[in-house]
Formats: sequence, structure tokens, C-alpha cells
Amino acid sequence: MAVVAMLVPAVGAAAVLVWLWWGGTAWSWIAPVLWAGIGTLALARPVCRMVRALVARWTGTVIPGGYRQAEPVVRMSTGYWWNGRSYEKSRRDAQQDQRLWLWFTDPATWRDLRFTAIAPVTVGVVACVPPTGFAAAVLGFARSMPLVGVLGLVVAVATAPYAWRPVEPVATRFLRASPAMALAERVDELTAQRADATVAQAAEIRRIERDLHDGAQARLVALGMSLATAEKLMDADPERAKALLRDARAGAATSLTELRELVRGINPPVLTERGLVDAVRAFALDCPLEVAVRAGGVPRLDPPIESAVYFAIAELVTNAIKHAHASRVDVTMAKEDGGLVAEVTDDGRGGAAERDGGGLAGVRHRLAVFDGTCEITSPSGGPTRVRMMVPCA
Amino acid sequence: MRVVVAEDLYLLRDGMVRLIEAYGHEVVATATTGPETLDALRRHRPDVSVVDVRMPPAQSDEGLRAALAARREVPGLPVLILSQHVEQLYARELLADGTGGIGYLLKESVFDADQFIDALHRVAGGGTAMDPAVIAKLLAGGPTDRRLDRLTEREHDVLRLMAEGLSNQAIAGRLFLSDSAISKYTTSLFGKLGITDDGNTNRRVLAVLAYLNGPARSA
Repeated sequence: MAVVAMLVPAVGAAAVLVWLWWGGTAWSWIAPVLWAGIGTLALARPVCRMVRALVARWTGTVIPGGYRQAEPVVRMSTGYWWNGRSYEKSRRDAQQDQRLWLWFTDPATWRDLRFTAIAPVTVGVVACVPPTGFAAAVLGFARSMPLVGVLGLVVAVATAPYAWRPVEPVATRFLRASPAMALAERVDELTAQRADATVAQAAEIRRIERDLHDGAQARLVALGMSLATAEKLMDADPERAKALLRDARAGAATSLTELRELVRGINPPVLTERGLVDAVRAFALDCPLEVAVRAGGVPRLDPPIESAVYFAIAELVTNAIKHAHASRVDVTMAKEDGGLVAEVTDDGRGGAAERDGGGLAGVRHRLAVFDGTCEITSPSGGPTRVRMMVPCA
Repeated sequence: MRVVVAEDLYLLRDGMVRLIEAYGHEVVATATTGPETLDALRRHRPDVSVVDVRMPPAQSDEGLRAALAARREVPGLPVLILSQHVEQLYARELLADGTGGIGYLLKESVFDADQFIDALHRVAGGGTAMDPAVIAKLLAGGPTDRRLDRLTEREHDVLRLMAEGLSNQAIAGRLFLSDSAISKYTTSLFGKLGITDDGNTNRRVLAVLAYLNGPARSA
């Protein structure tokens, strides 16, 4: 941390040293100052990236970079390249110009520069204490000044575990994107989620329409025809009329079964009647293997959330049976701080991976609509464990 | 028989009342909400009642709750639940007291009027009438229930029909066997499932319960 925070000041100090070393003419300061200036600008971003990475690794606090992404450059019909701001003769020129402009206009760049100015006098100073103490110890012992040596050693050892601590609050405060930027990002995220949800919903409605049209509706028409024919035959041929009526009854029963399956696919009746926990229990009872359901203190939630979590769990349990060859599945649901946490664990062969358009991606999309998250751990050989969390009041 | 019909949809309620009266029984009251159902069951103590699971005001499982509440007050009060869907979960709750006088059928069971009225009679007589869909799922389920593995295929068939609520005579008819053969099978399967006759409970209900509450199915 000391190295990272002091990189930029080191460049500046080197420039000053060079200046002093050259000395002499009135213009000799120009080269070192240019050097320090360009060095600082060039180092700001890598230094901040390193700080973010270190903070994430040490404390788990993720500070999003929030750098703007370059739009792809496009070739116009005139043969020139358009980079969103200017026309250039070649693609390389267009991209260079774009990169420079992006660097200059990106608020993240100025945030990084501000941090590189602040870091050395806050984080840097504190982080330098242990190395300085260590250096003092080495020097002290080397120059036969044991008191300085011991003192340096004590300082180095005592401060070592704490020297990097200030970096988290400072980095969080100065490296985090402005509220406006964060909001803009959130809007993009929500727009994508809405698009996902709308597409999924439209597909679902088409499926329901098709099922009704090809299944129950057609059967009811056939039923009506059988009844009409039976009515006609009633007097002339009572035996055939009776047979037709029997067929009609069987047809009515079949269309009811179809409708019931359809309803269950849209919204399981137990979910409406009893809520998430009992719906999952009912689902577990219908599974061909042992599914243990544990739930504590889960209240009734908004129906859309209950439905999303139910179908997510159903999908995961089905996966465990179909793909993981599990012999046992454990489902736990609990209300924790900030949300509902559901976990599905199986003893199958593992190796579950998320593919585009696959079941796991579907689960993630379902939950994402409610800001829910989904963590999958599935080492090859098992077991597979999926932890879902949906924020709710 | 004196019957109470609890169903919120007018067409179904009307049809059922007509059907039951066509078979010479008396409908003493009808109910359209959960509280009304509980009230009618308490007041009339009918010989049997037909109750829909989902009813107003909340359109959740009010009918089922009313029936369970009434049976807690009047143990063994015969109730036939008619539902748009059948769930093992609800079947367990209904059978949990082990006293019989319980039925749980899909609404389309009224398509076969004779069988429907027969089920009504069985429930009124303290027996059970379970939808084959539920029973099939029950018996197809848990591969880890050891006790059920011990049954022979024939005993499985007998248990399935017994669980639906059929009498030994009816089971004999379905399986083309003699009455005495069936009673031999039932005795042996009661033995294998560890069910003893203490005179207070319905052994046939216990046979289903034995499966339901098997060690594999801890909830």
C-alpha cells in the first residue's frame, strides 16, 4: 500500500531531484516538471485501479471504477471514421481521438487525479510508518545505535497490522462515483431488467395462448359437437347417443386436467392459497426423491416475489433431479436482514454452469427483476449449492 | 342424508344441490364463504358436507380451514372436500387426526354422478374417499420408505384402492379377486406397516397415514 500510494509523489520527488542535479540554466526546470506532470497523469488511473483491487481484496468493499466505455467507431459511407465526436481519416486516428477525449471528459479521470493528490498525505503517510520504522531499525543497528534500532523495530511491528486500515474509508469517500453517475448506471441496469422482464412475460403469454388454443379450446369445441350429435341421435339411435355422451364426458375431464396443468404452470394454486413455504413443501412432496424443506419465520411476501422465488426453487430442484442425479435435496428458506434467503443444496455430481438461455440464467433473470441475487457453487463432483437472496421489507 | 354444500361459484353450487337432491338427499344449508361454512357446519351438524377449498373473502384456503376447524370441534364430522386441484399437503392435513369421515376429490368427480354419491355415502359412513391422483402420487413417491418396499405388488394395489376409500368388497370387484383374498391381503399389509387395531381409529386411514408420515418424509 505504501508503494502504491507513494508512486506518484515518488515521480514528483524524482523530478525535483533531477532538477537539482542538473541545476544551472534558467530553463532546466522545464524537463523535470513536464516529466512529473505527464508521469502523474499517466499513473493516476493504474494507481487507482490498484487501490480498488487492494481494497476489494483486503476488506471486501467493492468500489466500482465507473469509467466510461468507448463506443465503437463506425465507418461512414464517405470512407471516414466517426467516433461519436469527430470524423477522422483512419480508424486508428478516430480511436486515438476518442480515447483522449474520453479520458479528458470522464469524471472518473478527475476523481482519480483528486485521489492521487489526497492519497499520499493520508493513506500514504500512515502506510509508510512500518517501512520507515523498519528502515530506522536497520540503520540503527548498522550504525551501532541500538536504542534507535529497537524503537524502530517496535514501531514497525506495532503499526504493521493497522497501517493499511485508513485506505478503505479514504478510497470509499474519494473514489466512489458521484451520486449522479451511480444513478445513471442504475437506470441502465433497470432498463435492461425491464427489457428482460417484458420479453419473458410476452413469451409466457404466447405460451399460455397457444396452450389454450390448441388444447382446452379445441377440446371444448369437440365436446360441443359430440353433444350436438348426441342430441340429434337421441331418438333414432339411443345407443350411439349414449356412447357419444360418454366420450363427451371423458373429453370434458381431459380438458379440465389440461387446464389444471396450465394453471399450475402460471401460478401454483397452493402458492395463492398458502404462500411460498407451503407451496415449496407441496412441490417437495410431489418430487420423486427426498426433498427436505426447512423454513423459519418466512412471512407472506408480495405475490410476484413469492412466485419468482417459488419458480426459482422449483427450477433448481428439477435441475438437481434431472441433471445432477442427486439422491437428496435440501431447501432452506429464512428471513434475514434485508431480505429473503433461499438455499438449495443437492448431493449430486456438481459441475452446474450458467449458460445463456439455460435454467440457471433463467433463475438469475427472474430474481434480478426484484434486485435479487443468486450465487452458485458447483464444483465438479458436487455438491451443488445455490444461494438466492431477494431484498424485501 | 342431511347435506351442507359450501361452494362460492353459483353454477357449481346449484348443480351440486340439484344432483344431491336428485339422489333423494336433503341439502339443509348452502354456504358461499369460509365463515358461513364454519357456521353452517356447527349449526346443522350435517351427515356429510361438501366443501370447496378456495372461497371468499380472501380466495385462499378458507373452505379447508373451516372444515378442519369444524372437525376439531366435532371429531369425525364427515367432510368431503371438492377442489379444482388436489395436493398431498392438504390430504395429509385432512387425514392427520386419523378418524376417517374424510374425502378429498377433484371437482370433476361429479361427472360420474353415481361414483360421486357413492363417495359421499362412504364419507358419511366414517370412511374415506381420496382422489386416485393423490393416492397415485403418494404411492409413487419416496423411494426411501423401507416399510413400503416390503409390500408385494398385489398388496400395493390393495393399499392404493384402500387409500382411495373403497371397501374390501369394492376392492375385490376391481381386482377380480374374492372378498376373503382381499381380507388376507389387508391383514398382511396392516402387519407389514405395523398398524394395530385399537378400536378407536380407522385402520384404513392409518394405512395411508403410515405412508404419509413415513421416516422419509420429514417436513
